[in-house]
Amino acid sequence: MRIIKLSFFVILFSHSSFVLGQNSLPVSARGDEILKKVDEVLSPGSVEFYRKLINEEPDGAKKEFVFYSVKKDRDKVAMLYLLPASDKGRATLRLDDNMWLYIPRVGKPIRITSMQSIVGGVFNNSDIMRLDYSVEYDVVKLDESGDSYILNLKAKTRTVSYDSLKMWVIKKNNIVQKVECYAPSGKLIKTLEFTQIKDFGGGIVRPAVIETTSPLYRGYKSVMIYSDIKRKNLLDEVFTLDYLSRLGELR
Amino acid sequence: MSLYKRLIYYSLLIASPILWKTAEAQDYEFEIPTEEEAAKLEFNGNLDAKGGILQSNTTSPVYGLKFFGQDNPDYLSQYRLDFYLNGDYRYKQVGLTMRTFSQYTKEEPLELSFYELYGSLNLSPRLTFGVGKRRYNWGTGYAFNPVGYVNTEKDPENPDLALAGKSSVYLKYNRSFNSGFIQNLSLSTIVLPEAADILDKYSKFGDLSATVKLYVLTNNIDLDFMFFYGPDQTRCYGIDFSTNLLENIELHGEASYSNREEISVIQNGDVQINEVSGFSHLLGLRYLTAWNMTVIAEYYHNNNGLSRQEYQDYQTYLENNLITGDADLINETRSVMTDNFSSKNLMRDYLYVKASLPEPFKWLYSSVSVFIIYNLNDNSFILSPQIGYEPFTNSEILLWPSFLFGKDDSEYGSKHFRKKLEIWFRFYF
Repeated sequence: MRIIKLSFFVILFSHSSFVLGQNSLPVSARGDEILKKVDEVLSPGSVEFYRKLINEEPDGAKKEFVFYSVKKDRDKVAMLYLLPASDKGRATLRLDDNMWLYIPRVGKPIRITSMQSIVGGVFNNSDIMRLDYSVEYDVVKLDESGDSYILNLKAKTRTVSYDSLKMWVIKKNNIVQKVECYAPSGKLIKTLEFTQIKDFGGGIVRPAVIETTSPLYRGYKSVMIYSDIKRKNLLDEVFTLDYLSRLGELR
Repeated sequence: MSLYKRLIYYSLLIASPILWKTAEAQDYEFEIPTEEEAAKLEFNGNLDAKGGILQSNTTSPVYGLKFFGQDNPDYLSQYRLDFYLNGDYRYKQVGLTMRTFSQYTKEEPLELSFYELYGSLNLSPRLTFGVGKRRYNWGTGYAFNPVGYVNTEKDPENPDLALAGKSSVYLKYNRSFNSGFIQNLSLSTIVLPEAADILDKYSKFGDLSATVKLYVLTNNIDLDFMFFYGPDQTRCYGIDFSTNLLENIELHGEASYSNREEISVIQNGDVQINEVSGFSHLLGLRYLTAWNMTVIAEYYHNNNGLSRQEYQDYQTYLENNLITGDADLINETRSVMTDNFSSKNLMRDYLYVKASLPEPFKWLYSSVSVFIIYNLNDNSFILSPQIGYEPFTNSEILLWPSFLFGKDDSEYGSKHFRKKLEIWFRFYF
């Protein structure tokens, strides 16, 4: 009798899984799957790209930076400063939780923390040298609102810059629209808005502009504009301390 | 020759000019190089306009010797222009790097110094070879580097200052690993010839130094192992590390053992060079507070530094020679100061603490910082706050006062000035 009961539950469970398909996945698993798709859209595989960062002050004054960046896998990012001249030649490298800054005048890379801001303004290092969201966060709650998913993310470790995120994602193409970043206390630290969806070629379609505001910096705004995103084969050795001073060779 | 063969022969003969032209056209065809393939030549640099006021330490023998025979005003001023011009040329695997420095203080021909001038063959992202004058900066310490066997000695009062490199030949191998215990490994070998001290052109054959450094990134820890072999069988063994303990705390350290280091001391009123062996070490951290202040703290033990008594003997030696008023002896003593006692870290134990805060009171593009270098052997120290502001892109203003404290025969109490105020205007291009 016990065997019959057990068989009944096994059949019932397997049948319901089959019928419900993907939607039957636990919420967190389904959310993680959506998050991985979001990552694939934002940074597909091994790529090079250019970015312009504009820090806007309340009085309208602006400070601009231009970076050349390369990214590989989910956890390797390197970035070279092209403008302004005062920062030209600086380079930053992020490998998983490790982050380094190379200053040509000093002649060696030094370890920096993800919480620091090397460019001033609202963006910090981890915003600019961001890894895939799914590397640093788990989905703890998944909601739906009209055409969007709303993902609530929790940092996997204490070394991640923001304790939790709230993310709005367009259902039909898995493109992120907005991210709110929260401190462990639940206080909102900053908001990132992803706009200007653009076809960069090579199957890369993603937002070209990220606007960032923070209640901690009232009246200030940072805007990141993406350009020339291209797929590029990159050796792992490009993402090493030794190569930081040579990043310009890739351009 | 058969008819068939003859036909082919004549056909070829007739067609030969056409074939020749075709071949000629093929030989001279070329593609216009794209921007990526073209050679790249880039220049950049900065001009530092510096002004300073110094309050003289007129009771110091260092001051007396430095300014012997001159007016001895209580306050001195200084104005100068420091010009840095950097150039990089790259064509495929070949690179040429130049970093120059010129200083203007008064109307006289400018001297151009090559801080760095080297060529490199970047055979792949894994292998690099280079020859020339190049600056190395080994060690994880910010203000001091006991394992910096190939470094030019830093000024702990300004560790980020550009410095001259050393003539060398180097080879670097770099390899990453996707899985396993080691994430990245790199091996560097550097050979350094001795400076040309014979007729300013030659050095003794065989007086070479060689170093090897092995770097590994393992479990999010940077680790370096170094070995140095120099003239007279000098051997140094070093290790350093750096790691992030938390998202806002970085810990670093260095340790070095040398079997033979030279130390100059004063014995019986004369300079004597002794040999010592032993360990030098450094332990430090970088901490980011919740309000965005970065604190760097380092303790440094210098094995070939002077003890408190040895430094006092040195000061007595300077004072005794100064009071003779003998110009020849004073010149000789000045040479001793520069040749034997010019190190930026003359004594044994130091504590360095620097706190810096970007954009205090939400003043965008400004920064404030303060550092202290405390000599633990004689309790003298330098305290120096800095205020920086970037009014426009590619410009920077720095206000930099320094205050020195200590007894007359202590390291910082015996410098040739007691207070200093500098202002820098920096322009980048």
